[in-house]
Amino acid sequence: MKYLKKRVRTTEFSLTVLFIAGFIALASTSGGVLFSDQSIRSFLTYLAIPILIGLAQMVVLAVGQLNLAVGAMGGASAAVMAQMMVALNSPIWVALLAGFLAATLMGALNGVLVVVTGLNGFIITLGTLTILEGVQYALVRSFTIDGYPDAVKDFGKIVYFNVPSVFVVAIITAVILSWFFRTHVMARKILATGANPLAARLSGVSNPLSVFLAHTLSGALLGIAAIVTITSLGGINRSIGGDWLLSSFAAPIIAGVLMSGGVVAVYGTVMAAGVIRLVDIARAQYSLDPSVINFTIGTVVLSTVALSEWRRRRSETKRQKHVEVDSE
Amino acid sequence: MVNNDQRLSSRLAYLATDQRMILAVLVIAVFIAFAIRTPAFLSGQFVIFPLIRDTAVITIVGLAQLVTLSIGHLNLAVGRMAAVSAMVAGFSYERLGFAILPGLILGVLAGAFVGMITGYIIVKSRVNAFIVTLAMDFALLGLVTFTYRSLTEAAAFTAKPAGMDVVRAGSLGDVCVFGWCGPSVVPLIIFPALALVGLMSFLYYRTRLGRELLATGANLRAARLSGIPVDTRVIQAHTLSGALAGIAGIFLAYVNGSFSAAIGSELLLPSFLGPVLAGTLLSGGVVGVFGTMLGTLLTLVIRQGLLVQGIGLETLNIALGVILLLALSANKIRTSITGLFQRKVA
Amino acid sequence: MSEILKVAQLSKSFPGVKALSKVNLSLRGGEVQALLGENGAGKSTLIKILTGVYQTEDGQVLLDGEPVSFDSPLAATKSGIGVVHQERNLIPYFTVAENIVLQNQPQRRGLIDAAQRRETAQKALDSLGLTIDPDEIVQNLSVAQMQLVEIAKALATETRVLLLDEPTASISGSEAKKLFEVVATLKAQGTAILFVSHKLEEVFEVCDTVTVLRDGESVIESSPLSDYSHSQIVAAMVGRQLAERTKRFRTVEPGEPALELKELTTQVGHTDVSLALQAGEVLGLYGLVGAGRSELLRSVLGLHPIVSGEVFVKGKAANIRDMRDALHKYRIGYVTENRKEEGLFLDFSINRNIAVTVWRRLQQILGIIRHEKETEVSDRFVERLGIRISSVMQLAGNLSGGNQQKVSLAKWLAAETEIIIIDEPTVGIDVRTKANFHELIMDLADEGMAVLLISSDLPEMVAIADRVMVMRDYQFVGEFPNSKDYAEMSTKVMDAIHAGSARQSA
Repeated sequence: MKYLKKRVRTTEFSLTVLFIAGFIALASTSGGVLFSDQSIRSFLTYLAIPILIGLAQMVVLAVGQLNLAVGAMGGASAAVMAQMMVALNSPIWVALLAGFLAATLMGALNGVLVVVTGLNGFIITLGTLTILEGVQYALVRSFTIDGYPDAVKDFGKIVYFNVPSVFVVAIITAVILSWFFRTHVMARKILATGANPLAARLSGVSNPLSVFLAHTLSGALLGIAAIVTITSLGGINRSIGGDWLLSSFAAPIIAGVLMSGGVVAVYGTVMAAGVIRLVDIARAQYSLDPSVINFTIGTVVLSTVALSEWRRRRSETKRQKHVEVDSE
Repeated sequence: MVNNDQRLSSRLAYLATDQRMILAVLVIAVFIAFAIRTPAFLSGQFVIFPLIRDTAVITIVGLAQLVTLSIGHLNLAVGRMAAVSAMVAGFSYERLGFAILPGLILGVLAGAFVGMITGYIIVKSRVNAFIVTLAMDFALLGLVTFTYRSLTEAAAFTAKPAGMDVVRAGSLGDVCVFGWCGPSVVPLIIFPALALVGLMSFLYYRTRLGRELLATGANLRAARLSGIPVDTRVIQAHTLSGALAGIAGIFLAYVNGSFSAAIGSELLLPSFLGPVLAGTLLSGGVVGVFGTMLGTLLTLVIRQGLLVQGIGLETLNIALGVILLLALSANKIRTSITGLFQRKVA
Repeated sequence: MSEILKVAQLSKSFPGVKALSKVNLSLRGGEVQALLGENGAGKSTLIKILTGVYQTEDGQVLLDGEPVSFDSPLAATKSGIGVVHQERNLIPYFTVAENIVLQNQPQRRGLIDAAQRRETAQKALDSLGLTIDPDEIVQNLSVAQMQLVEIAKALATETRVLLLDEPTASISGSEAKKLFEVVATLKAQGTAILFVSHKLEEVFEVCDTVTVLRDGESVIESSPLSDYSHSQIVAAMVGRQLAERTKRFRTVEPGEPALELKELTTQVGHTDVSLALQAGEVLGLYGLVGAGRSELLRSVLGLHPIVSGEVFVKGKAANIRDMRDALHKYRIGYVTENRKEEGLFLDFSINRNIAVTVWRRLQQILGIIRHEKETEVSDRFVERLGIRISSVMQLAGNLSGGNQQKVSLAKWLAAETEIIIIDEPTVGIDVRTKANFHELIMDLADEGMAVLLISSDLPEMVAIADRVMVMRDYQFVGEFPNSKDYAEMSTKVMDAIHAGSARQSA
């Protein structure tokens, strides 16, 4: 295919190379430990959540918005599931479903608020983030809720050919999402809204609907992330989701998803999440300060955005020659 | 047409003062409601004093955000800028042995410096302000945590320069003239805050800089084409925002008793609540300075009231989030209504 | 072929201005009709009604004899009226095929039918004789190709009336030729085409009939183009019932030019352009829309890069980096063309709007500006310019167009500028305020101000300019002292423009 897809593909290619090279580099310097079954299992387990939250943010970026509440939505949803099982003794499937629906509903609420107030998702999700942090605390207080059935935790331990079940869940979600954005009419409309809302509207696309669906879909993905969280972590407390925000942004942006909207990159987001995970492992391996990581990632994200912004302006000014807009 | 305009402009003038009136009335009403419900609410030492003290600090944070809002930008890094300033001040107290005021000044300069860099990046790279401040927030988080971890054992500077206690716990009760002392529920820290509110008010309503900032926020292109140095104003606004965030951060450290990386982590939402409740527009060009203090006071009265009732942190968070969303929606509705009025009159 | 679109006695007004007044138009299938008119003539309003952006007020729009009223652009499209705007309306990251079918994506149970999509797109492209690859990403196409894709898209939505709004605004040469070929193909297929352009040579090359709007009225209604010559068309576009106004003659003291441009080449398309403006003179820059006049002056003010050449202010070489330099260093003011977006702060009071350029001067110690001093300045100029308001604290956004324009001018007067560039000052302003404004401009010149007037309004030009320079395609093609005789001046000016065009098409 062509230009932008080519550029994303080039990014996809470099991320893949970066990931493989990074993995091998780390593995060899750790004396081969990283290649062990257990390490790989652990690596993939802890990759599942960053993939899902990266995708959740990606979907909102696609429509030109931001979701600051990713962590709170995931955390509150996980808290709902946990308490339903522990305090209400609900059957596992009911609890998981309830949590998933809760997250989806939170996304829908974000979408409705954005559409109704006409304000950017950033400030709206700042509000809902605060509300949900309160909800999460209300559900779990200062405790760690871990009394849910072993079957839940066992799921997190299932492994197919050394690939953890939660990772499989994340990958399957990614594949379905990728397929959705390539083939579903509604997904194409979401992308149209993000790329050029005016053109989209003139072609009969409902921009409010696109925005609403993007936020709802984001919520659904966070619901899946919450399910993965509850199965792979030992317990749910108030800090779940607290550190999700940066990685939810970093992965899609590094993968080439534009903040202005209209672009998705599922494979790239997955790869970028993997690379970021590798960076985390490197940090542990070399005993680097975690704050350095935050600083670096922040800088990388900013540079990526600045660069794409600069490119965009350059191509815009090229087109501006000899274009005069009639004033009446 | 003349009569229509008179009525319209006085109506608009009324709306402008309306916001502050509404806030003031709400503050009093909510206060009374809580006081009646729980007499313990009136406790000077445990409720009123911290209430006013926190209002002082959070108002300053609100002013920091207000300055960026005035030019139509958002400062997502207010919390971290506060942290950086506190860190530098703490460092100067503990490692350099500075007295309280020089340390404060140094810290504020650090905050201003960070703000200036932010503004510079925004102007030169032409990237959206909230992306820049968002990235700056993450970068600063890393910087602050790293610095604390490498320079201290407990991830905090614990030096207490002389005078810090006065700022932290001093009240009018310590000010005695001819044997008559002031009320001890009024913390001394409210005075610098009031001074800053007065200063900002003065800036926006009476000076050229304030007018040009508002013009930049109201219509960037028209501002540029009217000879206003918009790039300089943008940098100045972010610098000032950083400085104000810095003051807030250092005061917060005084109140907490130590300078740590945790300072500023919870300041983002409160920084918006004050200005938005005061009618400040996110798009720029309109600010409510005194209203920021009233709005902050209102949210803190609600918080203290709920705490006294034994209602926990969670309800508070929920309440604050809802208030923010309501205030934003109300602002939107109000501008749509005044917009409607404007279109009608030829 | 039969009539598809009819506009009957269509009227539309906005506060203070009657944009359309009993306009008539008739368009048949297989016909290419030109819609012509200068700035402020009502073209844009008519287009907006036909495309569903505005609603009809008085009069009717009829499709196939049935009255229609569109409450949204989508409704217009669905009824068969397609439009290709001046600005591109495509999704840059989608393929050509996907853009073409965007309004009506072929799907099976919610999933895109890619094969059908490609087929539909290919059909549309083929029927127009286009070789663009339907799988190409739109962002990679040239502007001309994007435009053609938009036409293919209109075709795919079964457009029966295609409106082309300034289609050659950003393309030229072989690309324009390709466009005309496509138009011819559409015509042969029976589509009715409304061709909006101000480039007369193209209009004469491509169109069969013509409608000319002037001051909101249709002065030529769907008549065969062959009945008219170039100059007759232009005369219809610009000629007006000139009220018997006492002509005001002025003398300009010769001397050193207040502003001089020597062989200026800009990055936006001017090459070796020169002009000289005297103090006390009103120099008119005339040209049709798109001539490059505003761009020239904006380059002088630092808004577009200057590649080579020199600018002199009062005899000294000037380095104008931005409007700040222009105002504070060289005392140049600029009353912009679009007052609402660039000239005024609609949400601020008139007081602020006028004083904005003098805050620097009014400020005292610590930057304090006393409110009384501000109102003193704005009161003075409100009176001077005769702005009718109840108080300077009124919001600028509430004023009529004429008053807004006066406020926009007032701020430069307040700043005591010596040179002032006024860009299309009376577009959309009622006749009486227009005359008022003209007197004002001449008064300013009498007081020694050097005025550079950019206008596409020839009667206005003839009424107030001392000298007229004609610009076409980013070059000057004529310069005449103003005899203030309208017939003589309009002939001279039109000839200059056409001589330019003859040069162009040669």
